[in-house]
Amino acid sequence: MKRYDLIIVGAGPSGLSAGIEAAKRGLKVAIFDENEKPGGQLFKQIHKFFGSKEHRAKVRGFVIGQQLLDEADEAGVEVVLNATVIGLYQDKEVVVKRGNEIEHFKGNAIVIATGAAENMVTFPGWTLPGVIGAGAAQTMMNLHGVLPGKKVLMLGSGNVGLVVSFQLEQCGCEVVALVDAAPRVGGYGVHAAKVARTGVPFYLSHTIVKAEGEECVTGVTIAEVDSKFQFIPGTEKHFDVDTICLAVGLSPMSQLLKMAGCKMEDNPKRGGQVPICDEYGRTSLPGVFVAGDVSGIEEASSAMIEGRMAGIAAAEYLGYIEKKDLDTELAALDLALDGLRQGMFAPKNRGKAIEQTEEGIAISQNLLLHGYVADEEIDRFPGVTHRSGVHPVIECTQNIPCNPCQDACKKGCISIGANITSLPIAVEGADCINCGMCVASCSGQAIFLVDEDCGDGTATVTLPYEFLPLPEEGTKGKGLGRDGKVICDAEVVSVKSLKAFDKTSLLTMRVPKEYATKARFFKAV
Amino acid sequence: MSERIKEHPILGVQEKGELVKFTFDGKEIEGYEGEPIAAALKAAGVMVHRYTQKEHKPRGIFCAIGRCTDCVMVVNGEPNVRTCITPLAAGMDVRTQYGVSDQPFDEQ
Repeated sequence: MKRYDLIIVGAGPSGLSAGIEAAKRGLKVAIFDENEKPGGQLFKQIHKFFGSKEHRAKVRGFVIGQQLLDEADEAGVEVVLNATVIGLYQDKEVVVKRGNEIEHFKGNAIVIATGAAENMVTFPGWTLPGVIGAGAAQTMMNLHGVLPGKKVLMLGSGNVGLVVSFQLEQCGCEVVALVDAAPRVGGYGVHAAKVARTGVPFYLSHTIVKAEGEECVTGVTIAEVDSKFQFIPGTEKHFDVDTICLAVGLSPMSQLLKMAGCKMEDNPKRGGQVPICDEYGRTSLPGVFVAGDVSGIEEASSAMIEGRMAGIAAAEYLGYIEKKDLDTELAALDLALDGLRQGMFAPKNRGKAIEQTEEGIAISQNLLLHGYVADEEIDRFPGVTHRSGVHPVIECTQNIPCNPCQDACKKGCISIGANITSLPIAVEGADCINCGMCVASCSGQAIFLVDEDCGDGTATVTLPYEFLPLPEEGTKGKGLGRDGKVICDAEVVSVKSLKAFDKTSLLTMRVPKEYATKARFFKAV
Repeated sequence: MSERIKEHPILGVQEKGELVKFTFDGKEIEGYEGEPIAAALKAAGVMVHRYTQKEHKPRGIFCAIGRCTDCVMVVNGEPNVRTCITPLAAGMDVRTQYGVSDQPFDEQ
């Protein structure tokens, strides 16, 4: 039976991070992953991540995935794929199924980094072909290059539902509706806004009555629900769709820990059955650590830091580093992790209805109910100012830990400050040179460059554009408001795709000047 | 009917293996070597992978990562093959699964 210093289960962001830190300190590490390819969910994430530079903000998920794989390779971590860990037994014995063979391994320390699985909701017709998990849509589109369907209804307005809806649109699917039984959008406002401005209607306080079809989905009926989640008669709405995506939450895959005898708890705030562990991932079993979503649903950025903590903690457990080094390293990582766990969507704020930003500004209720900031609400926010000439308009209206915009502008036009959850401020008197870096660097696609009055009755609006085909200069079309409705005529002035923009093209459209503060998306006719 | 994404705004043109032929319920289709069988079927517009044993209800892809077993089919004579994680090979014989057999129910 082969023995390793450290056996890690799961080669996703937390598992790879743990492996890298442990191997760098001299441990012999093996990571077992049941999938054909490593990286967990990272390679399906084509959007730019949030956070700050140390959290790899502005970098697309699949690029972070490749960076981690390269680091793991360099550190000498052995990654074993197509290897399902089916048991974690006494004395840290790990049983692995590879093909039709069963193999046994021993780890002096174990890190369980198995992540989470998608939840399901059931409704008549939910078993029909065409009803898929949102993760399945991502897998099909981003890994296999196949369209999940042509007309999709998304159930769930958390970050997964919002992000996957946008990804579906990016490969040409029509998202006919985004539905959630909750009364408020669950994910980041900027994710909702980038979906809403393309014309996708949001139906909060609604859920699916039934999916229709004989051999596969051909349609779906939704209806409004009351405060007790009971259907309100007469509110049914029908959509012709071939696909229904379920983005209704994740549950930790913690079975191995339970099996091994770890103390577990049922914690709804963490997503379900989770191991009881300290802030560095130590469970009740000495030598068994956890990292990532399996210890509590969060996101990839925090998973990576937790993985690093677990890897370092395992190194100290086995005597490869001294306790004082452990304490120093963990303190630094703790700071980084804490930096992510702030703001409106922080784990500590889950479930709370937040009415004001940290600055005391009223949160856009329209954003929470319909997915977009209303015209009469947008001026409240410090990123939205009015002046002559091209200037950045930062429609970032909720406190989330994120600051690439500040670093993107070399002229100091955007300021966030030391507290990275602060709302970005459009700095008065700063000299905007219209380079477009802020527009391209905003992971939330919430920054626009606007010239409110070109002098000829028109205005120009530069927006981030991540769709194909890229419209050509001179293309006539329509300007859409934040609500995704056509509000004016628009003409494409330019489309810029620079390497520095990292696949975010900048589309500049000319609109009548009364729409300078309203038009935020372009549609060709 | 479903299609393949020719060029993706972020991912560009995705690398694929060799284009090979295989059969679905005896009919010849094309797919890329190494991609999941389910991806090739989806690209060809196939939605139903199997029918359930008791009530003969249709099932297809659900999780797409090999965890739910909704997508299983009879591949090269072997039933219960998870088509969403099994790589396509040239000449594969893929059949709709009825219960646990490739024979329609009235012929079982």
